Amino acid sequence: MINPFYEPIAEVIRMRFLRQLSLALLLAGILLTASALIVSASDVTQAASTGEQIFKSKCTACHTIGGGKLVGPDLKDVPQRRSAQWLTDFITDPQKMISAGDPDAAQLLKDFNGVMMPTLGLSTAEVEAVLSYLQNPAASAGAGAPVVMGDPQRGEKLFRGAISLANGGAACNACHTVAGVGFLGGGALGPDLTKVLTRYGGAAGMAAALSTLPFPTMQGIFAARPLSPAEQADLLAFFAQADASGQTSFPLTIWLLLAVGIAGASGLFGLMYRYWPKQSESLSEKLRRTETV
Amino acid sequence: MNVRAHLSMLFHLDKCIGCHTCSVACKNLWTDRKGAEYMWWNNVETRPGVGYPTQWENQEHYRGGWEISAADGRSSKKPPLQLKLHGRAQGLAKLFFNPDLPTLDDYYEPFTFRYRDLFNAPQGKTQPTARPISMITGQPMEIKSGPNWDDDLGGSALYARNDMALEGVSDTVRRQMEELERVVFNYLPRICNHCLNPACVAACPSAAIYKRAEDGVVLVNEDKCRGWRMCVAACPYKKVYYNWNTGKSEKCILCFPRLESGQAPACAHSCVGRIRYMGVLLYDADQILSLASAPLPELIQRQRAAILNPFDPQVLAAARENGIPENWLHSAQQSPVYRFVKEWQLALPLHAEYRTAAMMFYIPPLSPVVSVVEEELFKLNIGADVIDFEMFEQLDLARLPIRYLANLFTAGDERALESVLRRLLAVRIYKRSQSVDGAPSQRALDILQKTGLTQAVCESIYQLTTQPSLNERFVIPPYHRELAIEALNDPLSHKGEAGFGSLRPPKRGE
Repeated sequence: MINPFYEPIAEVIRMRFLRQLSLALLLAGILLTASALIVSASDVTQAASTGEQIFKSKCTACHTIGGGKLVGPDLKDVPQRRSAQWLTDFITDPQKMISAGDPDAAQLLKDFNGVMMPTLGLSTAEVEAVLSYLQNPAASAGAGAPVVMGDPQRGEKLFRGAISLANGGAACNACHTVAGVGFLGGGALGPDLTKVLTRYGGAAGMAAALSTLPFPTMQGIFAARPLSPAEQADLLAFFAQADASGQTSFPLTIWLLLAVGIAGASGLFGLMYRYWPKQSESLSEKLRRTETV
Repeated sequence: MNVRAHLSMLFHLDKCIGCHTCSVACKNLWTDRKGAEYMWWNNVETRPGVGYPTQWENQEHYRGGWEISAADGRSSKKPPLQLKLHGRAQGLAKLFFNPDLPTLDDYYEPFTFRYRDLFNAPQGKTQPTARPISMITGQPMEIKSGPNWDDDLGGSALYARNDMALEGVSDTVRRQMEELERVVFNYLPRICNHCLNPACVAACPSAAIYKRAEDGVVLVNEDKCRGWRMCVAACPYKKVYYNWNTGKSEKCILCFPRLESGQAPACAHSCVGRIRYMGVLLYDADQILSLASAPLPELIQRQRAAILNPFDPQVLAAARENGIPENWLHSAQQSPVYRFVKEWQLALPLHAEYRTAAMMFYIPPLSPVVSVVEEELFKLNIGADVIDFEMFEQLDLARLPIRYLANLFTAGDERALESVLRRLLAVRIYKRSQSVDGAPSQRALDILQKTGLTQAVCESIYQLTTQPSLNERFVIPPYHRELAIEALNDPLSHKGEAGFGSLRPPKRGE
């Protein structure tokens, strides 16, 4: 029998135990849910094994076989134009070829508005499969589908993320910028898309790129969450509008960032110096300073 | 009625000789550790003076204590009583840096002397001296102040003049207080007031401070303290201190280990002037909020009302219902503090206006007896026609200004303070007349009549003031720790687990 005088203390201790127990249960629940989500997210698979499949999923965005040039050159008869070794090297790592100063690669880059072919990350076997497909392609593969222009307003909303993408992909401006869209522009991870239509050689090239988004960084997200045809059309219209508007986005350089950062920080510190509460002067120091015996 | 027991101390300021024995006893017992060098859980101040830490009463600077929100009716959401320090949002903003804390300069930088130099100095033409060394940095330092730097009015032009309690005292009187023949001071010993409504408890973000159930001692749980130091700022008496070595706060513990073994706290026990009394008060915990948020003139009266009569059968029944042990009730009936505070209404809490309902009480000091008052001057030639040298009728001429004492003890209420002083003077005049004239004079009896004291009460006050035995001064009830242990723990297992020392010693420093 507890003395009634101490009953409240014992009660507090019981309450504290219950609270700790419920906290622990909550935490365990959160951890379980989170781990289940992580497991399902890693479940992205790609199923392109044969050369044709690879070509259709990764190359047709920019290339045709006998359909004329899009973003990249028409690949009809390419095995006759280039050596097998050159092709293998270029498909494996185009960036390396250009930086190594290969004259043909440099010429291609110049011819195609400086749009570098993305490194697709294909294995040697996959590259061989693609090459063997190119030797004997199906007739007019990747012949450009008719270009459909959608609603540029809706496209802009999709770009900004005001309307979510149907398959759950991330909004474009998380990584890209288009001049005049968004208060501080978009992300800087991907390239500026203001003039993307010109760079990709017009609406046809851009439409192809939008349909598969073959860039390795984007594949991670969009391989499993492709843009719907309507979204592609809207975005294309938006990019066409942005390209025609003649606006240019402000170049974000390291110096600009540094200057803004320094100015912001000094402004903040200035305000803090003026308005943040300071340790008041010790009263004894003040007495001794202001009065004399 | 929610009756609880409180162990309270009472200071009879007329008896204090300012010897600092209490401070030294406390220092030696509790704060002679690293990180605690600057702490004086008990200190004695000369008043007028700035005290320790400097001007601790300046709440516009330190923001200690409570304030009541303006009664405009609109702000009904605001609690009636709030910390002067900050509200919740502000407290969060100031969590990592609180500008209202006293600095080390406000206390003083603790120092010692390098005595070795006296013996090891090479032979020379001059005497060697021991240089002062900081006890914090270990480096030689220039001493700027100490815990009682303005002791006995030292440097009074600088310190005494800046006493916060002189507020409202006219310039003429202030000048007079410095004149050679009128100069006056008294001593004010201070410990933690173990308040009924402690601001330190309310301000602690870690809920590490608590008021002990059985005797009202306010303690810091060193295991829970996280060193936020809000208590240091919130305590209006500046009686919580931050230990820079352990990173935790510490304060007067009312020597509870001594209390639990039946001894008076070290400061009280060692008191040379025997000015201190200890005893149990019963109080009604339900009244705390209303008494702390009462209008200024009612504060003392309300606090007195919350202290309950230990002879009242209703109070006793309620106390028993709350589990207060029988011997504590018996002790409350013997309590000298109860008699001075409630029965005779001679003792007052220090700075009731802080609204913490301090539970240590003071009997205000009387002014020195003067020879003659003539045209406001004091002369030594006593004329037969002038006999009011104790100044019963002329309290406003007493050396210690009423206004000043009222600022200290009655929240500025001069009439309340005068009535206490008059009763003290009446006892003095009555007993003086009795011993000088052989029997109380008619004038003495008239004065008694005026103050409403009877001869018997007068005799009791005199007895308890001048000739109490140790057991009359300190009425400490037997503690029942087993009851507290029982509420939290199985007593048998507690016996096996309890012992000396801390299970989790602080890691900071060495």
